[in-house]
Amino acid sequence: MQLLNTLLIGITAGSIYALMAIAFVLVWRSTRVVNFAQAGMALLSTYFGYEAVSRIGSFWVALPVAMIGGALFAALVELILMRLLVKHASSGPIAGVAPIIATLGLLGVIRSVISMIWGGQDLRIVAPISNNGFTINGSTLVFSPLKLLVLVVVAVLLILLTVLFQKTNLGLALRASAHAPEIARLSGVRVDSVRTLGWALAGAAGAVAGLFQTVNGNGNFSPDSIEFSLLLVSGFIAAVIGGLDSLLGAVLGGLFLGITISFVLMYVSSGLFFIAPFIILLIVLFLRPQGIIGVKAGRRA
Amino acid sequence: MHKAKKESTHLPLFILGGVVLYFLSGMVDELRVYQGATIAVYVIAISSIILLTGYSGQVSLGHGALMAVGAYAAAVLRIEFNLPIILCFIVAVLAAAIGGALLGAAAARLSGPYLAGTTLALAIGLPSLANQFEILGGEQGLLFDVGFPPLALGEEFTQYKWFFWIAALAALISMWVIRNLLNSAFGRAWRAGRGNEVAAQLAGINTARSKVLAFTISAGIAGLAGALLAMIIGTVSPSAFPLALSFSLLTGAVLSGITTLGGVIIGAVVLVAIPEIADVVAHRLGSSESVTTNLPGLIVSGLLILTVLFVPNGPVEQHRARKAKHAAQHASTK
Repeated sequence: MQLLNTLLIGITAGSIYALMAIAFVLVWRSTRVVNFAQAGMALLSTYFGYEAVSRIGSFWVALPVAMIGGALFAALVELILMRLLVKHASSGPIAGVAPIIATLGLLGVIRSVISMIWGGQDLRIVAPISNNGFTINGSTLVFSPLKLLVLVVVAVLLILLTVLFQKTNLGLALRASAHAPEIARLSGVRVDSVRTLGWALAGAAGAVAGLFQTVNGNGNFSPDSIEFSLLLVSGFIAAVIGGLDSLLGAVLGGLFLGITISFVLMYVSSGLFFIAPFIILLIVLFLRPQGIIGVKAGRRA
Repeated sequence: MHKAKKESTHLPLFILGGVVLYFLSGMVDELRVYQGATIAVYVIAISSIILLTGYSGQVSLGHGALMAVGAYAAAVLRIEFNLPIILCFIVAVLAAAIGGALLGAAAARLSGPYLAGTTLALAIGLPSLANQFEILGGEQGLLFDVGFPPLALGEEFTQYKWFFWIAALAALISMWVIRNLLNSAFGRAWRAGRGNEVAAQLAGINTARSKVLAFTISAGIAGLAGALLAMIIGTVSPSAFPLALSFSLLTGAVLSGITTLGGVIIGAVVLVAIPEIADVVAHRLGSSESVTTNLPGLIVSGLLILTVLFVPNGPVEQHRARKAKHAAQHASTK
């Protein structure tokens, strides 16, 4: 029973990491940038969701509000910050590190502005359904209707994204711009707009991850909450495990990370909460630097 | 055979700098002396980033954590064995350098965002380890007391002035070492590897080893900065080395000009001045408490973005590039 519980907790946490990893992958595929502000954007979207909940009172309104807000904000960042960056900082010794530094700066700006507007204290979003575990044969599982909901929503989003990428013209444009921007441009794909769209999709995915990370925890969140630092690190690690370039890889990476951490915390030590992801990342980078399903190639950015 | 010109090590310049600082510290009030000590610590920490990122082309978001390694090493030795303070600092350098070598060995296989993400995970994860071990003092941390200034310096010699002397001396020595390292064969190998790794390998440089070496040295310097920071604060705790510290160092390095060691003083002064400026601005505007406390963070991050966008290679480099361009235009019109 403990084994099953650990597995289920890991899968739920892992599916949230997977969403975050998808956000990283979408941004990486569209602009070849690892967006370290992704967790900041997810946090901001969570505040959008909070505003919607406190005004309208329904989590089901808050979810799309957070997604749209997150998507618009991410698109804005791509339009303003990323385009300026390509224009100004693409030569000299800084060129290789400029996008990393810029997105980190953005993370700081988002955090400070959030603290100024909403204050540094804990706010609370109440989960729409119960987080009390299901009961089977008289014993209570840790797995709850809420966790089931997280899994279902993540699965639905994944299916929608897959359909978008594999079955639509827009998806073809997204894939083409990611793999060969020059050729895509020559074939008439508006690569710049497609990039902005990639960021917007990432913003929406991050928003869902942020909301679910909050309600799957204790419902509290604040600009400094460690949950979001963890979301940043775990999402990034899951994306790297998956090869950073593949949506399927991101999902597998997220689940792998979630389940591994869950087992480490249960059977090794719960004190490894923060250091476990780092150790897993190092092991993965040493054993399979190209990710689980990535092609064998040097890791160059 | 053309005989290579012997590079001067600029030792007299650094000694002169020390003399100037010595007299300066006697002339200003206690708060300025304290800030001077903090600036000296930032000078050391930022130059470790300049060496690593500007020269060797590797990004680290984990230097705050490496500073913590140095600080804890120094504090534990001081408490458990009561070692003389100079030995504590040396061990701080060695401990952080060993940590850096391990991290660097992993880092040499990574580049760009992978390295940034890995060191970010370290910066978030490592401070929490302090709660795991009794000897590290948990959330409260450890006391780190370097003792009173020697009596020979006189009765009026204050504690902060003593801190300033130690920090400034350490800063001068490390700047001198780094400057000469960057102008040595090591420095050239780092720059070559940053510019074009394949070309550097063809020229006979072992780029992997050269990167690990850069990481090790940079970490050692960061460890020294960490121990000095702990000396000024008086304690070592996880909260003294937050993620924001790593970000501040990066901001300082970018402001200084990521390849301009001489500019490091700009970055350090700005980092120390920002909280004061933010305080004044917030009071002028009569803003609420949540704005006042978050303004410094906003300014640091905002500056980071603006600098990367508009003076990406730092003010000094920008000026030099403009002058070079001007000269080239002048020559072509002739």
